[in-house]
Amino acid sequence: MSHDPSHNENIPALDANGLSRRSFLRTSAAFTTGLAAIAAGLAPLRNLKDFTSMEQFVQKYYKELTPADMEKVIKRIENEVEKQYGIRPHVRDLKPMDGVEFAYFLNLSRCIGCRKCVHACVAENNQSRNPEIQYIRVLKMENGSFDMEKAVHDYDPALVPEKGHFYMPVQCQQCHNPPCVKVCPVHATWQETDGITVIDYDWCIGCRYCEAACPYWARRFNFAKPSIPKERINTDMSYLGNRPRKQGVMEKCHFCIQRTRAGRYPACVEVCPAGTRKFGNILDPNSEVSYILKNKRVFIQLKEELGTSPRFFYYFDV
Amino acid sequence: MKSFSNTTLTLLVLMGVFVMLAAGFLLDLWGRPVSRPEIPLVDPAFISTDTVRTSYAELVAKKDTDALSDFDCYTCHEKGKPPTLRFDDKQNLIIPSEHSDIVMKHGSHNRNNLCFNCHNENNLELLQPRDGRELKFADSTKLCGSCHGPNYRDWEAGAHGRTSGYWDRSKGEITRKDCVSCHNPHSPKFPGRKPAPPPHPLRPLDKPKLATEGEH
Repeated sequence: MSHDPSHNENIPALDANGLSRRSFLRTSAAFTTGLAAIAAGLAPLRNLKDFTSMEQFVQKYYKELTPADMEKVIKRIENEVEKQYGIRPHVRDLKPMDGVEFAYFLNLSRCIGCRKCVHACVAENNQSRNPEIQYIRVLKMENGSFDMEKAVHDYDPALVPEKGHFYMPVQCQQCHNPPCVKVCPVHATWQETDGITVIDYDWCIGCRYCEAACPYWARRFNFAKPSIPKERINTDMSYLGNRPRKQGVMEKCHFCIQRTRAGRYPACVEVCPAGTRKFGNILDPNSEVSYILKNKRVFIQLKEELGTSPRFFYYFDV
Repeated sequence: MKSFSNTTLTLLVLMGVFVMLAAGFLLDLWGRPVSRPEIPLVDPAFISTDTVRTSYAELVAKKDTDALSDFDCYTCHEKGKPPTLRFDDKQNLIIPSEHSDIVMKHGSHNRNNLCFNCHNENNLELLQPRDGRELKFADSTKLCGSCHGPNYRDWEAGAHGRTSGYWDRSKGEITRKDCVSCHNPHSPKFPGRKPAPPPHPLRPLDKPKLATEGEH
């Protein structure tokens, strides 16, 4: 810069590196503006809030967690939920019971299609209210046919049931041979010994292969950050069940694991006004599900020909 | 133009691009997801586990004296004097105005339009199955079972009607409901009801069909 610039007006003087004062100023002005513009251009990153915490990032696979690890994980989840929703939950990690295999029976002669099960499920399992995530889809079907292509799920008449139709609620069928488990590239979903196919929301990478593999359209993806009003949070939570999910993970019906593994009935069973839904331990010969299997016209496992062998059965009275 | 070196040119172009990007983001021209329409929270009535009706036994448990006064037959009727039933020319029971809330629709074709098929005519506060037993209102389930055998059998096994509480009996009680918690004894067919709202699609614009009502 100490060079004398005066000997030619038109050619800017160069320093030892071939950089004139004018071009230096121009370049640095452009550079600064450019940096500022980059910063502004990356502004949407500021809206990212849910960074995975380091604890969660280094967390081990569910099946490798020791009870002490699990305790820490549960503490972390309770803290996160309290931070986000301002309410302290009670998170548990309930294990399957010995000699218990769950089965679910749904009476197609009785279902009136009122969708109370859908909303009881949403309330029990802390599903996102907007965008809406619902595990149960009630299909309105033509009498005398089983053509699911013609099923309607957004019916909204003044009164149900409507003449000439029957209603078939569909949710996770908890298959003996679940295609969703086979396709998961990271083993984030697996079948437990009591028959419930569970998802570890901290292990799921959100590839949605399982959603594509499920023939019952039972899996739901959190496309957006779930939103649940604070006053509707169910604080009785379980790790593999209804603890709040993040954006970008799968979820689905887990037979209300936080209730059923504590011996209670699932929320959809308790809310059904028509007594359509039956749940219990199929290995117990005195349970109502064993009675139904023995005495009722249990006619299908849905899409039986696929060989998935659901634990969810549909039956008729008579 | 020697003064515009390659570096300067690249920087200038990049600057332009980033300035445009910055303006775009600041003015929210694109990029941020389209805001989703509000979805109203579902009416808590749809997640209530109450049954459609309240049975006599439940009224007693709740000490609902107002509703229970309907079961004090002898505040109006006279003891030891069976009320007379009147029929129109089509053999339909004429329901007296005092009982206008009763709709007689138990069984079709007037096969069951006689009050004393179920009520004891000599003591109106008792129920009377055809086998001669006399039952209290709280035991109405046995009365129903005296005709509806298969359903009674299913109900006893837990296969008919609502079950709530604990499937694991070692952990807690199972709660069963009486027939009359769901069925009106005078017109037992389960009444139609308003369905809970249908699912809202993720992108409502994709499905204008939802706005049209009542597809049949």
